[in-house]
Amino acid sequence: MRLAPFELAEPASLGEALAVLARHDGESRLIAGGTALVPMLRLGLARPDRLVSLHRIPGITEIQSNGGGLGIGAMATHAAVRRDPSVRAGWPLLAEAAGRVASPAIRASGTLGGNLCYAESASDVAPALLCLDAEVTVEGAGGARTVAVGDFFRGFYETALEPGEILTRVRVPAAPPGARSGYVKFCPRSAEDRALVGIAALLVVAGDGRRCEDVRLALGGAAPTPLRARGAETVLRGEALTDAAIGAAGDAAAAEADPLSDLMGSADYRRDMVRVWVRRLLLTLREGDSAPLQR
Amino acid sequence: MTPRALAFTLNGRPCRTSAPVHWTVIDLLRDGLALTGTKYGCGEGVCGTCTVLLDGEPVRACLVLAARLDGRALETVEGLERDGSLHPLQDAFAREGAVQCGYCTPGMLLAARALLAEHPAPTDRQVREALSGNLCRCTGYVKIVAAVLAAARAAR
Repeated sequence: MRLAPFELAEPASLGEALAVLARHDGESRLIAGGTALVPMLRLGLARPDRLVSLHRIPGITEIQSNGGGLGIGAMATHAAVRRDPSVRAGWPLLAEAAGRVASPAIRASGTLGGNLCYAESASDVAPALLCLDAEVTVEGAGGARTVAVGDFFRGFYETALEPGEILTRVRVPAAPPGARSGYVKFCPRSAEDRALVGIAALLVVAGDGRRCEDVRLALGGAAPTPLRARGAETVLRGEALTDAAIGAAGDAAAAEADPLSDLMGSADYRRDMVRVWVRRLLLTLREGDSAPLQR
Repeated sequence: MTPRALAFTLNGRPCRTSAPVHWTVIDLLRDGLALTGTKYGCGEGVCGTCTVLLDGEPVRACLVLAARLDGRALETVEGLERDGSLHPLQDAFAREGAVQCGYCTPGMLLAARALLAEHPAPTDRQVREALSGNLCRCTGYVKIVAAVLAAARAAR
């Protein structure tokens, strides 16, 4: 089945892309890897007159790390993020989450920036980026601005992008030294499916090996947007990592969750799975370094 | 609507053609180039039967715009055999009985080819992970996994 016809712009620079968007405001959609947009076109859920493909913009797929920080071009694919040696060494949580996106062929086309702009609640990479305090660079006719990933998601499939703006880069600061991290993706149907809930956590254990010095926790599929579970973090930060304290963090995360019901599962089921998987992930991280629960 | 001129490598040979800009790779392959080995399944990137290799990486022909082929290398199931001989993966699929209705087979072969290029001696788990995005509704997965492992052994 063919897609409904559209015009296609393939700008060779960011300036040209912004100019096309400005000329055709409201009639154009940006396309990155197409793994989210093309199914929407196929199903008739979007009918843009024009697509603006970003693939020819120089440097937009580059992954660079320096001075302890990481910069990822918006068009870097999940597969590229997953295999990049600097990402694996310095930000293993992000590499792990990128490696859990859908299936190998989707990871080879789908991009980090496209994933964020699609603003799927059950995004695999968003919880990791929330834990890592990442921010995005957004460029428009008036110049560039920086938005924390936590402020980028505004609502159900809704972002902070204004008309005519393009997300060009994701910036990730250095992870806390000695942090353990992990991502669990709970898929009750099949491995390549969207997560029912996804949990990313980053844990710094104090020198005595028993107390939580710092913790960051973020949830996918648990609210209209990916969500940083700051309440649960507060419950655990500074506490001894007992089963009871970790259980209380799971309860707090479930209380913060604001899930939707859909064909995959009810809101109550999702909330309960947040409680269960937050607890399991934190118990795993307490025992050792970055041991993924799956795969 | 002006067609997009395209120059890319198709199964190892230069290919110059053009396609309407709203065509995806599978439209170009099946309808523009009469290469019908690549099958159309769900059209949404879920089933995997249209999997082809773009610069050696598996992608969904139903999701990638044909315009993205320009300057790159595309490999389809038609490119697997050499001088009339089956590719070792095709041979292993035939020997192991890994084909039932056959509709998923082209996608399975190319997903497996990408795996063996990266991991020539994969574990059972790596094979299953590599094929996790390719559905076989005859559910013949056991023999498909066995065939990929057999092809890897045969290549050593």
